[in-house]
Amino acid sequence: MAGLELLSDQGYRLDGRKVTELRKIQARMGIFGQADGSAYLEQGRTIALAVVYGPHDVRGSRAKVQGDRAVINCQYSMATFSTAERKRRPHGDRKSTEMTLHLKETFEAAILTHLYPRSQIDIYVKILQSDGGNYSACVNAATLAVIDASIPMRDYVCACTVGFVDDTPLADLNHVEESCGGTNLAMAMLPRSGQIALLQMDAKLHQDHLDSLMEAAMTACKGVSKVLDEVVRQHLQETVILTGD
Amino acid sequence: MAEGFKTADPLEYHKSFLKENCRPDGRELDEFRTTTLNIGPISTAEGSALVKIGNTAVMCGIKAELAVPPSDSPDKGYIVPNVDMPPLCTSKVRSGPPEEQAQAASQFIADVIESSEMIRKEDLCIQKEKLCWVLYCDIMCLDYDGNLLDTCIVALLAALKNTLLPKVTINKDTDVPEVDLLEKSPISINKHPVGSSFAVFDNTILIVDPTGDEESLATAVMTLVMDEEGRLCSLHKPGGTALSGEKLQHCIGRATTRHKEIIKLLDKIINSMKK
Repeated sequence: MAGLELLSDQGYRLDGRKVTELRKIQARMGIFGQADGSAYLEQGRTIALAVVYGPHDVRGSRAKVQGDRAVINCQYSMATFSTAERKRRPHGDRKSTEMTLHLKETFEAAILTHLYPRSQIDIYVKILQSDGGNYSACVNAATLAVIDASIPMRDYVCACTVGFVDDTPLADLNHVEESCGGTNLAMAMLPRSGQIALLQMDAKLHQDHLDSLMEAAMTACKGVSKVLDEVVRQHLQETVILTGD
Repeated sequence: MAEGFKTADPLEYHKSFLKENCRPDGRELDEFRTTTLNIGPISTAEGSALVKIGNTAVMCGIKAELAVPPSDSPDKGYIVPNVDMPPLCTSKVRSGPPEEQAQAASQFIADVIESSEMIRKEDLCIQKEKLCWVLYCDIMCLDYDGNLLDTCIVALLAALKNTLLPKVTINKDTDVPEVDLLEKSPISINKHPVGSSFAVFDNTILIVDPTGDEESLATAVMTLVMDEEGRLCSLHKPGGTALSGEKLQHCIGRATTRHKEIIKLLDKIINSMKK
């Protein structure tokens, strides 16, 4: 892509960040009264909203009921005004369905579903503003919402995207960096144990570079987990103060 | 103890409060819930607003696109409202009713825009017969706890006031529209309609701004939309028990006061943003 330099000679990216620098993450939990758990997360200019209902009775077909664990129902959608050009089909298209499936699989790995047999947990995520890293913002917001709903998980689920430009891994891509056609790797992991919940990469990458890219992704995810932990503790402190004592 | 009573017999629970002229959340019968407004949270949209009335939260995003004006009115643009109630807004089973509610709300908002002349469609026309703006107003309910219509109208109004449209000129030689993203101007809002919703219990008790529980127990609901000149733009009473004429007059009075409250809030927020 002529004229668009993702990485300058001094090591700065298009938005002024360094290669391993994450975008600013701001989050709030418990924002909606109706839902069991909710969270609002801003990762740079990407805004995601996650709402959790459950555990409750399985709605819809009885066939979905699992005798030994909870069923996780996810839905990912984007607001029509979230992208620069109005999104005509906010949900039901292939990309949304794929994201929904990925979210479901990620959280099935993390939530202790065997504690709630024959029930259902709903996780709804909505992207209000899209500027790259949609999947990561969703996973991070959903983690906070699940924690807010008091549903036990093995660990935080933190996600981040990394790219590869000029033999350097770039952490936390924004929309411009993602659409440049280079390597995009999205990873969701459980930081304390270092286990990977989901890994997805679409692009050509020489296998020698894979290790450094995975390393960069893991470091980025651990960075995200620190921020999320801070948010949860802050929220807990506020709630404790409000409920007295 | 109170929670058990509420689940076992919700109607009696609410009635016991209404007898004392108050409501379970401590409000008076004609008191609205706290309204909060956040203008311009979404930068990818041309205009946006997030409004919360009590627990009900609604986000409105305005996207503008260019199009050819309709052949029967070549000097007018389009305004397309759409109300969406995604599954995340309520825990009730999704098997029919919420979808209908969203569709009905969309039509209601379209009627309010039409009847109140909030925006004159002629203002949206760039060049007669050739080019006009289409304003897509996507109203999304994020958390539903009753009184959807009022919240939607305020969100729409706030988002439109926040909308900036770039200057568009048509190149005389090539006939291609040229958009100047650096020069943006706000839309002129003609009228400022504000809605007030009421719920009726047993033909006798009239309450303002019902919550989700109150709405499901009420025998009738009604929404009144007033504009700044004290004119009634829209009155929506879908069936339910009958309402006497004098009660209606009382509602109109309350709706007029509510209009002033909302416009004051809106002006306060917009002025504070300018600083």
